[in-house]
Amino acid sequence: MDTQFLVSLGLILATFGLYIGIAFYNLAKKTSDFYVAGRNVPAVFNGMAIGADWMSAASFIGMAGTVMLLGYDGLAYIMGWTGGYLLLTFLLAPQLRKSGRYTVPEFIGDRYNSSTARLIAAVATIIISFTYSIGQLSGSGVVIGRLLEVDTAIGTMIGVALIAFYSALGGMKGITWTQVAQYLVLITAYLIPVIFMSLQLTNNPLPWLSYGQIVSELQVLDVQLGISEYVVPFTEATRWQFLALMFTLMAGTAGLPHVIVRFYTVPTMKAARWSGAWALLFIGLLYLSAPAYAAFSRFILMTQVAGSSIADLPAWTTSWVNTGQLSIADANGDGILQWAELVISRDIVVMATPEIANLGVFVVGLMAAGAMAAALSTAGGLMIAISAALSQDIYYRSINPQATERKRLLVGRWSIIIATVAAGIVALDPPGAITQIVAWAFALASGTFFPALILGVWWKRANGPGVIAGMLVGLTVTLIYIFSAQYGGFTLFGIIDTGAGVFGAAAAIITIIVVSLATKAPSKETQEEVMDLRYPEEMVYRDGEVWLKETPEETKVTK
Amino acid sequence: MKLLRKIDKKDADAYFRIRTTLVVIYLLIGFSASFVVVFFAEELSGFSINGFPFHYFMGAQGAVLIFIFLLFINAIINDRIDKKFGLDQGKKK
Repeated sequence: MDTQFLVSLGLILATFGLYIGIAFYNLAKKTSDFYVAGRNVPAVFNGMAIGADWMSAASFIGMAGTVMLLGYDGLAYIMGWTGGYLLLTFLLAPQLRKSGRYTVPEFIGDRYNSSTARLIAAVATIIISFTYSIGQLSGSGVVIGRLLEVDTAIGTMIGVALIAFYSALGGMKGITWTQVAQYLVLITAYLIPVIFMSLQLTNNPLPWLSYGQIVSELQVLDVQLGISEYVVPFTEATRWQFLALMFTLMAGTAGLPHVIVRFYTVPTMKAARWSGAWALLFIGLLYLSAPAYAAFSRFILMTQVAGSSIADLPAWTTSWVNTGQLSIADANGDGILQWAELVISRDIVVMATPEIANLGVFVVGLMAAGAMAAALSTAGGLMIAISAALSQDIYYRSINPQATERKRLLVGRWSIIIATVAAGIVALDPPGAITQIVAWAFALASGTFFPALILGVWWKRANGPGVIAGMLVGLTVTLIYIFSAQYGGFTLFGIIDTGAGVFGAAAAIITIIVVSLATKAPSKETQEEVMDLRYPEEMVYRDGEVWLKETPEETKVTK
Repeated sequence: MKLLRKIDKKDADAYFRIRTTLVVIYLLIGFSASFVVVFFAEELSGFSINGFPFHYFMGAQGAVLIFIFLLFINAIINDRIDKKFGLDQGKKK
């Protein structure tokens, strides 16, 4: 057992103790607390919690590596995952907040006045969150695998046990405050190494301003080596794939049940707007740093690791080779490691960076703790979404309406445990890189919830049969496209599996419109409810007239 | 106890119209910063900002900063509009 192991483990355990402490302190008692935190979280903190919920293992562990390996083409992830907040905050959040429902399936069921639609939405929630959590578990596998220097699969199994235990414990109320702590841990862990690297390489403590210089140097190096240039667009994928992926990630963001549920935890529409703004600011801090990571790591690997002799490579290479995520082969037998002979998995770039840059045991340990915070916080939110869909929308509303609150909580907790274990089994042999698996979840969300919610909020003529057909068509098209692109090599316009959402969304939107127009218009009450969503919370729309809510005390105060 | 006071539907619709117009403007700006710049990436790579070719700068920093800016502007302006229409949610509860 070396010092590194003890320091990393110590930091992970200390931060875990903190989260669990907070969760225990706020232990959920009522069903409403378990799912939406009693609606009294201030906007700034809700923004942080959204940030922690949002920034998963894909953002923390996977994204910088993806940008490093894909160059400009990897930036689709940066813009897609931030731009989605525009769609969410402008087009959906305030209206969903006003509707006053607890979960996305509940909103869809009530808006479209159809329990079939609610059931389909619940099943879609489970499929999307499940896919997403596979990415989280395989991320925690990378971290734990490195920590214990064991195979990533064994790391994943340990992660499953941790996440199942942790998510079943708290519920949303515990999770909101825990996630504030997790955001702080993960952002500190992410920024410290990149700031140090920036100091080492450019003598400037602000990586965001300094890495442009490194990017220019990379261009020169690429030309010398004769490899595809880092900043040149569309070398790894086509222009259409870039645009399709960016759309998929944006629309998916606006349709992810575990993110949307965050906007129910704020007291007012005003707070919903501010929460979204704060969330993107906190998220942006990490997203603006990821390309800096990518540039610095690539620069160090190209100038300091490649070109050195195979016999005396730095010590960190051995531990990563042991996890099966790094391979070094002296293909031409000259005893020197060439850039082309270094095969690095995109999922380890961030985790290996502090070691590559030789930043010391504490920073490496902090990184591990931060990555675990990212994987755990998102997995926690995902598991709550799965358990809400199963226990509230499927069990309580469709199977056993007489169920007591205790029984529903119990069903919720068990569904968390089962879902985590099942996702863990798939993650043992992950079907793709972390960012890729997560992009599939986004593709599914943009093919189902995005159209159903956007049209549900903005078009009162959309009806039950339309949304049922639309969600089914969107889900099917997206799934078929992902599978045939990933395993069958079938693509349109060079758009691969990760851009599938663009087809799913288009198919679903067309289906909802066509089927809705071909069938009976929704009832007058439903249409009035949709009209009502147009106006701020203080206004109520009824029978073509608008009323303003007032409390008697307030009238006195304002005179 | 909530009391209801009828207001002119025109006022309520004016609120809705202002908000929707602004949202459309914000989304158009966001769309240009991301999709349009990506579409013309090669054409926009000719000049650089701070060491980055322009298209790379927009993808890695410019677009994200614009998104954040838009959300805060929206929150601030919308609060002002609320006030103008006599809605002040801060006082509730």
